[in-house]
Amino acid sequence: MTTTATTSEPFSSAQAASTPTPLRRITQNFYVRRIAKALFTIWIVITIIFFLIRLLPGNPVEQYIARLIETQGMDYENARSQAAALFAIDLDAPLWKQYFDYLVNLLQGNLGVSLTSPGTSVASIIARFLPWTLFSVGIGLILSFTVGILLGLMMAYRREGVLDHTLTIFASVVSSIPNYLIGILLVVWLGVQWKVLPIAQMRGTMSPGVTPSFSLAFLQDALFHAFLPITTYVLTTMGTWMLSMKGSTVGTLGEDFVTVARARGLKDWRITTAYVGRNAALPLFTQLTIAIGFVVGGSFLIETLFQYQGIGYVLSGAIAQRDYPVMQGVFLVITVSVILANLLADFLYGWLDPRIKVG
Amino acid sequence: MAKNKLDWQTGDANDGRAPLSLENVHVAYNTRRGKVRAIRGVTLDLHAGESLALIGESGSGKSTLGLAIVRLLPDTAETAPGVITYRRNGREVDVLQLKPGELREFRWSECAMVFQAALNAFNPVLKVWAQALDTAKAHGWHDKDAVRRRLVELLEFVQLDPKRVIDAYPHELSGGMRQRVLIALSLLLNPQILILDEPTTALDIITQRTIIKLLRELKEDQGFTMIFISHDLAIAAELADRVATMYAGRVVELGASDDIFYRPRHPYTLGLIRAVPTVTGGFEQLFSIPGSPPDLVDLPKGCKFHPRCAFATERCKQEEPELEEVGPGHTAACWHWHEVEAELRRNPLHRGALNLTDVIAVDVEVA
Ligand SMILES: Nc1ncnc2c1ncn2[C@@H]1O[C@H](COP(=O)(O)OP(=O)(O)O)[C@@H](O)[C@H]1O
Ligand code: SF4
Ligand SMILES: [Mg+2]
Repeated sequence: MTTTATTSEPFSSAQAASTPTPLRRITQNFYVRRIAKALFTIWIVITIIFFLIRLLPGNPVEQYIARLIETQGMDYENARSQAAALFAIDLDAPLWKQYFDYLVNLLQGNLGVSLTSPGTSVASIIARFLPWTLFSVGIGLILSFTVGILLGLMMAYRREGVLDHTLTIFASVVSSIPNYLIGILLVVWLGVQWKVLPIAQMRGTMSPGVTPSFSLAFLQDALFHAFLPITTYVLTTMGTWMLSMKGSTVGTLGEDFVTVARARGLKDWRITTAYVGRNAALPLFTQLTIAIGFVVGGSFLIETLFQYQGIGYVLSGAIAQRDYPVMQGVFLVITVSVILANLLADFLYGWLDPRIKVG
Repeated sequence: MAKNKLDWQTGDANDGRAPLSLENVHVAYNTRRGKVRAIRGVTLDLHAGESLALIGESGSGKSTLGLAIVRLLPDTAETAPGVITYRRNGREVDVLQLKPGELREFRWSECAMVFQAALNAFNPVLKVWAQALDTAKAHGWHDKDAVRRRLVELLEFVQLDPKRVIDAYPHELSGGMRQRVLIALSLLLNPQILILDEPTTALDIITQRTIIKLLRELKEDQGFTMIFISHDLAIAAELADRVATMYAGRVVELGASDDIFYRPRHPYTLGLIRAVPTVTGGFEQLFSIPGSPPDLVDLPKGCKFHPRCAFATERCKQEEPELEEVGPGHTAACWHWHEVEAELRRNPLHRGALNLTDVIAVDVEVA
């Protein structure tokens, strides 16, 4: 019926909507739109940081100038030019030029120079410490998401059973404890009381003498040192995944297409994975994008607690010593990585759910 | 079994024996209020190549009976006592005793069930093709090319453009198209029996007509054996060879389509027919059955229809009637079916439900 209707009416609106111009096809493309949105968000963040650092009263540049004058007895001009060099900005240029230079600097990866370790560029600090955070947070999130989803699925299939009740209590308790408390409890129990982990040796990101390489030994060492942060990230986020997945799965199990799949005689395994599991996990991807932000933000406390030298550790040091260029750089990098992780989650979601690419 | 040919003729490989027999089938749902006795002793043979309509008000147990046959009832349902015998090529099995693996193979390849035109009969994240292939593979059919050929043929049969539909996601198809895809898919494995539970409900009238036309072709040209569930008498009349009227979980009347619609012997069937709004005979009073179906947790004594029945007597309140022969191949469960016959002689049915469908068909052609 529908097919004959469209062929007999070539100028119907349905026809027009299904064959957009090439330009519209690109701007309506799901991936293009998501990338544009991410770039736009990054630009907003960059701009906000620029104005916060330069223009607000009591901003880092002014404070630094005041400190130089106070502690080193510098005159205002000297202090001002030193601050300008450190923050990689020209304070005498008109505002639009400062802003433009700032953007160009950023594009070139120039984030200024650290105050506390002079001569070290912020970019090099980030390049050195960021990978460890991406490594530990990434593994932590992937682990907790996967395990949480599988456990939630199991709970839904065995709901009201012993396994379900036990896991529900575990999930509720664990997801209500703050992350640093879980970290402290891990140290106290595993390291001090039961002495199952050599906490002191686990500090840092690598053992002395080990250098990064693509070898199993290095990976093992890296995982050994990242064990406690990863465990903390997993424990703090997994409960939420389990409970969400359970709820979502119970809902999906009641859907008609599951009954129809059974009527079609599909194997249980196929129904559980491709029909129930996949659909039930979809809404969780939206939550994943939020969780990424929380975990990256939380790494600040956790890395400090475990002396794990990632970007959060650098940030806490920079805050303590008022190393503004480093703070600025780290904030920027954290925001950008959260936005990029969101983009990745969006793509994954778009790939898993064909419905959201429309409209 | 050559699955890639359009040879869905059932044939008569059962020496004339019914491909499906229900004997004293019971279904009860355990609920907080108590046992909902949805099916209370249904005995019924489904003949090869026939189309049997189950009619009755909503809640009379039609869907429950369909689901019981493919064992898709929820865990809260109990199906005992009862025997459901399925026969093919001289072999017979009790469906209710099938082990999980056997049951899985029985579903869809022996007996396919198409559900009420629900909007989400398909997995939203898989293309039509993937879901068809899933179905074939689950039954050991791995020849992709053959599956595709068969699917194309079936989609053409249900008047869909295979090129457009095969690689579409369910949300890209309209409700009517999806229902036709589901019907096509139900024929994929050449099942012996097809159960259709209100396949046109919730669809617009034009789409309804298309689907009914399709099912008629299946029935008349392909000789398909099917159970057709509907609360719409007009549609049932159009598609059925035989009709079973259900009330409160029992078959209360069973007979050839003409017998049921022109010579009903059960007051409930008569009430259903008189309740069909008449388009032509404007002067006949529209009749509706007073009251509502009984509470299945706490059923009345005697004939379950007696609180609503104009023919009821003291006996009806005490004893429940069984199906008895009221004509050749025609049974009814009523103590007073002779009175119904007499009443029909006094006040004949000016038109059966059959006339109504003709009117709809004409209407559609005009529009
Ligand atoms: N899952 C269920 N749990 C409890 N009662 C149910 C369930 N499904 C159906 N019923 C009850 O069983 C009776 C028969 O329902 P159903 O078979 O759907 O009737 P029909 O298809 O004729 O409308 C109704 O009274 C209904 O309320
Ligand atoms: S048995 Fe009695 S109450 Fe039941 S349908 Fe017949 S006349 Fe009515
Ligand atoms: Mg129903």
